[in-house]
Amino acid sequence: MRISDQKLRADRLVFYAQDVSRLDGELDGFLEFSGARCAVLVDKEGHLVTRRGEAASSNMESLSALVAGTFAATRQMAHLLGEEAFANMSHQGARQSIQVSMVGERTLLAIVWDERTNLGLVRFYAQETIKRLERIFLDIAARPPSAAPEVGLSDGYSKEATAALDDLF
Amino acid sequence: MVQINFAQKSVTVKIVYYGPGMSGKTTNLEIVHQRAPESNKGDLTSISTDGDRTLFFDFMPLDLGTVAGMRTQFQIYTVPGQVYYNSTRKLVLQGVDGVIFVADSSASMVEENLESLRNLEENLAEYGKNIDEIPLIIQYNKRDLPDALPVEQLEANLNRWGAPSFEAIANTGQGVFPTLKALAARVLDTIHEQTGGRSGGQRQAGQAAPAAAPRPTAPPAPRAPQPAAPIPQAPFQQAPAQVQPTLAAPAFAATPVEPVFQKPVAAQPAAPPPAFAAPPQPSLQAQVPPVAPAPRAAQGPAPVAPLSLSQTQHGLRLADTGVRPAPPRGAHAPHLSQPPAPLPQAPPPQAVAPPVPPPAPVHRAPAAAPRAATAPAPAAASHAGAQGAARLRPRAAAAPTPTTTRSKSTLVTVAIVVVALVAGIAIGGAVFKLL
Repeated sequence: MRISDQKLRADRLVFYAQDVSRLDGELDGFLEFSGARCAVLVDKEGHLVTRRGEAASSNMESLSALVAGTFAATRQMAHLLGEEAFANMSHQGARQSIQVSMVGERTLLAIVWDERTNLGLVRFYAQETIKRLERIFLDIAARPPSAAPEVGLSDGYSKEATAALDDLF
Repeated sequence: MVQINFAQKSVTVKIVYYGPGMSGKTTNLEIVHQRAPESNKGDLTSISTDGDRTLFFDFMPLDLGTVAGMRTQFQIYTVPGQVYYNSTRKLVLQGVDGVIFVADSSASMVEENLESLRNLEENLAEYGKNIDEIPLIIQYNKRDLPDALPVEQLEANLNRWGAPSFEAIANTGQGVFPTLKALAARVLDTIHEQTGGRSGGQRQAGQAAPAAAPRPTAPPAPRAPQPAAPIPQAPFQQAPAQVQPTLAAPAFAATPVEPVFQKPVAAQPAAPPPAFAAPPQPSLQAQVPPVAPAPRAAQGPAPVAPLSLSQTQHGLRLADTGVRPAPPRGAHAPHLSQPPAPLPQAPPPQAVAPPVPPPAPVHRAPAAAPRAATAPAPAAASHAGAQGAARLRPRAAAAPTPTTTRSKSTLVTVAIVVVALVAGIAIGGAVFKLL
């Protein structure tokens, strides 16, 4: 009745502090060069991994979920057209625009930019940044589990979380 | 799938309400949204049709706050129930950590319930998940309908996994929270099983995790009495799903452009390096978007407002191979709207470091490679030479400049005209003499 340990280990997304700081460094560099407003890494399930730059929205969780949903729908469209995926997706607004690109197998890079820069510049720098991010994700994936930092959720986590939910409603 | 982010000290869990069309999935979510404290909930986002039928998904984040040092958040989704929307329904299931199946208790909906359960099983299987393994709760909704089937019959029909089940009247809020709490507890247990072993005993990877708590196969515990007061069904927000009219700027209508980044050496009047004395090629002008704020070389030898040193570095910093924390943004972002800053300090020494040939960086972007100059510019030596090859090097001005080409062609044209005139006059004079 329970999920096999090995499978969940493989499925679970765990980000450690040093991984995220590497990702943040790349995103900071990208924002500096491209002049974009905000860069967000979102996993394919819509969970926010990290965000750099200005907050593009007061509700970044919803934005992340919508980015992931839209990208998933676009991928289905690509499949219908015989493509593996559309690597990039852009939405252009009167003042703000967003570009979403696939990074590796399971992460999306969403870039929010405004009139201070332009699509060409954003795409140009995004190409390089995506390659760098992919290398970081490959490093993370290639790292043997024993090399991961010995941190984990505390023993009482589950009970505390359930109690917090009880308090909520 | 669960995301555990130790950097941000957060745990994010994805929960999905599944079930046939009109069974009350969105209503469940609306009740959760209405009753959750403001500080713990995000906006309820709904991608729905005009008739309020879910088209893609409804979504709300629910923040439990900091639990055992980790900010714990549930991302709660509903799927479109109609058979027609299976493709989008399947997308929402991606990475799900737990499912609440909302069944319609009506006798007329038995087949739809079964069909939706089969569909859930199939869609989970496509993601490599087994409905037997994933945390699952069944909610028998619409218990107030006159033709509602007895729970025992519904259990026999639908719950062949022995999953915990709850009765509910979602539009009054009855049974909504026991269902959600039960699933949340199961999901949290699952997370804890997979991660808790590392905290105390530092369990190594591959070692067996502690056995999971056995899934209750008994009928569900009697529900706690629910508040009887009906909850007003306020229309929920749909703002995030609305699409704003866009105004496509003409600059972006063209195919993707790749601006060529030129080191703005021309802006340094103190010591203009010879490699940049000539203006850029005319083709460059067509490739650069008209509003590109990138620091570019001046068009022609006309003097350009001096760029700051930091702007000068922008064209080269991306070429650095190492991971480098960037300085705070905003201070010197290369925006066109910003007035060019005066040179804050002397330009970097030009002849300190000789040009270093690029040591073939591992991650050279192929798209930009053809644009890179074949010879590193002397001015770039202080940056690129010190930190490896500059990927985005300025073009070396070697080809004839447009001004030179134009003047040559003009000269040739004038010469031809003059020669033609002289010849015409000579021929005319000769003819006149003959006559």
